[in-house]
Amino acid sequence: MITNRRSFIHGTGLGLMSFTVAGSAVLLSPRDARAKAADFRVLNDDEVELLETFAEALVPGSRGNGVAHFVDQQLSVDANDALLMIKYFNVRPPYVDFYRAGLTALNDYSHKVNDKPFTGLNDEAKNALITAISGAVPEEWAGPPAPLFYLMVRSDAVDVAYGTVEGFERLGVPYMAHILPPRQ
Amino acid sequence: MNTETEIVIVGAGAAGSVYAAILAEAGKSVTVLEGGPPWQLTDLYSSYQWSRRLKWAEPHVEERPGDSLWFNFNAGRGYGGAALHHFGVWPRFHEDDFKESTLYGKGIDWPIEYQDLRPWYDRVQADIGIAGDAKAEIWRPEGDPYPLPPVPRFAQGDMLKKGFEARDMHVAPVPVTVLTQPYKGRSACLWDGWCEAGCPIGALGNPLVEYIPRAEKAGAVLQPNSRVTRILTDKSERRATGVEYYDAQGDRHELHAEFVVLAAFGIENCRILLNSASNRHPDGLANSSGLVGTHVMSHASANLFGMFDAETQNHMGLTGGQIINQDRFGKVRKDGPFGSRQFIAGLAVKPNDLLGIAMTRADLFGSPLDDFMHRAVRNMGTMVTVSEDQPLRSNRIELSRHKDAQGFPMARIVYKTSPDAKALWHDGVAEGKEIMAAAGAKEIWNGPQGAQHIMGGTLMGERADKSVTNKYSQTHDIDNLFIGGAGVFPTASAANPTFTLHATSMMSAEYLRDNFDSL
Repeated sequence: MITNRRSFIHGTGLGLMSFTVAGSAVLLSPRDARAKAADFRVLNDDEVELLETFAEALVPGSRGNGVAHFVDQQLSVDANDALLMIKYFNVRPPYVDFYRAGLTALNDYSHKVNDKPFTGLNDEAKNALITAISGAVPEEWAGPPAPLFYLMVRSDAVDVAYGTVEGFERLGVPYMAHILPPRQ
Repeated sequence: MNTETEIVIVGAGAAGSVYAAILAEAGKSVTVLEGGPPWQLTDLYSSYQWSRRLKWAEPHVEERPGDSLWFNFNAGRGYGGAALHHFGVWPRFHEDDFKESTLYGKGIDWPIEYQDLRPWYDRVQADIGIAGDAKAEIWRPEGDPYPLPPVPRFAQGDMLKKGFEARDMHVAPVPVTVLTQPYKGRSACLWDGWCEAGCPIGALGNPLVEYIPRAEKAGAVLQPNSRVTRILTDKSERRATGVEYYDAQGDRHELHAEFVVLAAFGIENCRILLNSASNRHPDGLANSSGLVGTHVMSHASANLFGMFDAETQNHMGLTGGQIINQDRFGKVRKDGPFGSRQFIAGLAVKPNDLLGIAMTRADLFGSPLDDFMHRAVRNMGTMVTVSEDQPLRSNRIELSRHKDAQGFPMARIVYKTSPDAKALWHDGVAEGKEIMAAAGAKEIWNGPQGAQHIMGGTLMGERADKSVTNKYSQTHDIDNLFIGGAGVFPTASAANPTFTLHATSMMSAEYLRDNFDSL
């Protein structure tokens, strides 16, 4: 089928994904899933809090745009159909192993360096830690390569903060979709 | 589900779809086995998150320390293959790309010359549509004019054109298989810059808009989610009898055929041949030369970026760019590296994904990243330098001891960018920055070395002890086995390979069609 003009579908640039809210399956954007406190499927509460805190430090606004719900939902689907950028980086599925090990390493490293969990750091300490792990693997880091973990969570955060219709609007650039993403 | 067919084609990408159309239109029974899903144009959403479905998740390959070939980013999954997310930049290879050994004592000669392939370049461009200005491409080898007028320039294209011209360098509209006008019932481009996510309006020439529809109309059967693992042979092991494949449920099947066309991604082709070892072919099928998997090449590339005072409209146009420069295509330089390089400038970009704006400054995070994003979406200009790699036997595909979900050995890539290509890459980055500065960019930076366009692994050649296939991509060892794709290229050029891949595939498919009863 050839579409000869833009087909606009109401929704968000990231599409609607399946979440569970109060026991019912609903289709929501990750941002709305967070606002409605949708259940997490893969990550536990501590992992969610850590992922959101890390992502927010990397890309402001990503927490409220549902980065944890996006990642968690995508970790629950078949890896070939997943929308995560980790697909490009030759990481063998299941990807949850990578994220879980990375989050553990992040917190352990924070304890070693700051004697506190990452979520307990002030902004200055967070930035110093991120700078330390973003370009090289620190000696005390034990997990997947620190720069790769940094890059993957940063990419997920960029996806929800800037890679959506709303994100384009915040940046002041037109989205100009041919076909907006569907529901998943 | 078919168990017999005259021709089985492995892979529904660019090469496989050309073979399928040519052979089905000749009345042959054709079955195409594709490992991925049956994408349609309506599946191609304008979203880089969603475009990742067009690529494999599970690594089919292992990469040893060296330079990455970015298999998972470059390959494609499902109907259309890698061509479904390719950018549609279609320059021709040049005459000397085909004769580097004879002319310069470097590389490997093709068993054909440019003039041998020219008729198929001309026919493919008439089939699928290419926009360009042949006269403005002063470097272009002889060929028919393009059937469509060139792509328009947006602000960054104008700015960067001035940068080239300030350095006495010539530019031409980039030749692209993108419709600048309606063509054969297909719509013209809207210049929205979503090419890499897949073009759902059919303006970009990919397999879903030309050769797959033609193949299906002529009766070819396309079978998705069918992963081919081995080529089967008869008792003499001199002829292929079909293929072994696994369906989405993991069940094994055989499809018997008079001819097999192996047209998966190049690395997968090598993997399947090596995995088809038998008593007579202990090192893999069609591998009496020992060359299956060797001479793998890529294009060493780098994206260059500049921040301008004026707005660049970088969200408009094509992912593939607006202008091309091939002033540095000449192979030989005094005291310099051997090989070609080219620039393509004015690439459309979006905020996210591997080639997106945020990734151009992967070091930034927090509020500095946000500040950068707000500036870059308006004022960033882009160009890419592409460098020719050399065919080295040491760059190769092997079978890994690790296996995939079907128990099929993964491919292992052993690759290191050739010294010439590495030096060309450095030269291209340095010169690109000077062009950016001449264009008026205030901040200038570049991305890391990337790998585009994987080629080689199943080289064509005249001698059976020096190559895997003959000039028609027919394997020397197995008469009824053909190889489709850029794997048969003996040299890499610096030109994007997909147009040449179509031309060689069409030439070979017609040879098979015309000699079907005698091969």
